[in-house]
Amino acid sequence: MRGLLILVLLALPGQAMAHKVIATVYAAGDMIEGEIGLSNGDLAKRQLVQITGSDGTMLGEVTTDDEGFFTFTPTLAVDHHFIADMGMGHVARVVLPVAELPKGLQPVEASAAPVTKSVAVAPVAAIDPAEFAAVVRDEMRPIRREIAALKETRDLQAILGGIGYIVGLFGLGFYLAARRKLKDHRDG
Amino acid sequence: MHIVDGALANPVVIGGAALAVGGIAMGLRKLDLEKIPAAGVLSASFFVASLIHVPIGPSSVHLILGGLAGLVLGWAAFPALFVGLLLQAVFFGFGGLSVLGVNTVIIAGPAVAVHYLCTPFIRRGDARLAWIWGAIGGGVALAMTGAMVALALALSGQAFFLAAKLVILAHVPVMAVEAVLTGAAVYLMRQVKPELFLAWGEAQA
Repeated sequence: MRGLLILVLLALPGQAMAHKVIATVYAAGDMIEGEIGLSNGDLAKRQLVQITGSDGTMLGEVTTDDEGFFTFTPTLAVDHHFIADMGMGHVARVVLPVAELPKGLQPVEASAAPVTKSVAVAPVAAIDPAEFAAVVRDEMRPIRREIAALKETRDLQAILGGIGYIVGLFGLGFYLAARRKLKDHRDG
Repeated sequence: MHIVDGALANPVVIGGAALAVGGIAMGLRKLDLEKIPAAGVLSASFFVASLIHVPIGPSSVHLILGGLAGLVLGWAAFPALFVGLLLQAVFFGFGGLSVLGVNTVIIAGPAVAVHYLCTPFIRRGDARLAWIWGAIGGGVALAMTGAMVALALALSGQAFFLAAKLVILAHVPVMAVEAVLTGAAVYLMRQVKPELFLAWGEAQA
């Protein structure tokens, strides 16, 4: 019986409902990098992402890797809308406006070259700007992730605030209902 | 169990909003003075329940407590759950404002249904039976909610059976936990405050 239960649990899809979809996109060098996941930490693995312009024209499609990560090389200077339908009511939708697109929209010959340690200790003047940008980006990536995760944490204040609203609203309702009842009582 | 903005077709969103307005109006008419505090408490429980994620297997689930609200409140579950959903959408971005109507209907609709299905038995039977009927109410409400989510997605173009299978499968463990919890809550209320399950007139008699 317990074995069956475990089997059922393991067979469950990796995502349950009621989790918020988190999607972030940002320019990285000549590409756009993005991540898609759910607020409970599940990543959107092998997820088809459709990229359209503001008018709905299709700009391209990419698939995320095992960490919900994807890159897209933009070719047009328009707003890029990233849409990923993860099923069961989960739709990730995020826009990268023109202003945040990579500078110089021409497709490039190669993506950021792998950065070696020696680059980091070399004199600043000797560093190729593109490599330098790649280093900074790689260093920034975990921070970006943490910020995205931080945005999703729900603090106690918000929860207490919500409960406060509920108490207030129902208190108001109670007051109105009681006043009506008292009035009926007086009149009748 | 919240559908997010942009997942549904416009007619479904509008239809859901219309149904929700009807349900809330009906609920407010039926919400007597004496039930208002109970509605507030259940609304707050619903609001908080969704924030507590319990890891199960590879994923995590959270309680909904729609069934419990329905069993106690009947139609008044509509305004109570609507308030909870509204605040969840505003504070935490669960669901979204445009699909608020649909979400209200898929959670409060089953709540009202189990009220009519189970509450008569909770009133009548002894406390142990109330436990069982409470558990049935909690589990069934969630199953119906899952089916309605699937229906809403199907009306928006997704294949119904696939969506239904996924949604309901994902909720089997929640249904079990929610059934046990609802049963326990109903048992407690039946013991210490049986008049919660009675209409006001009956409670006075």
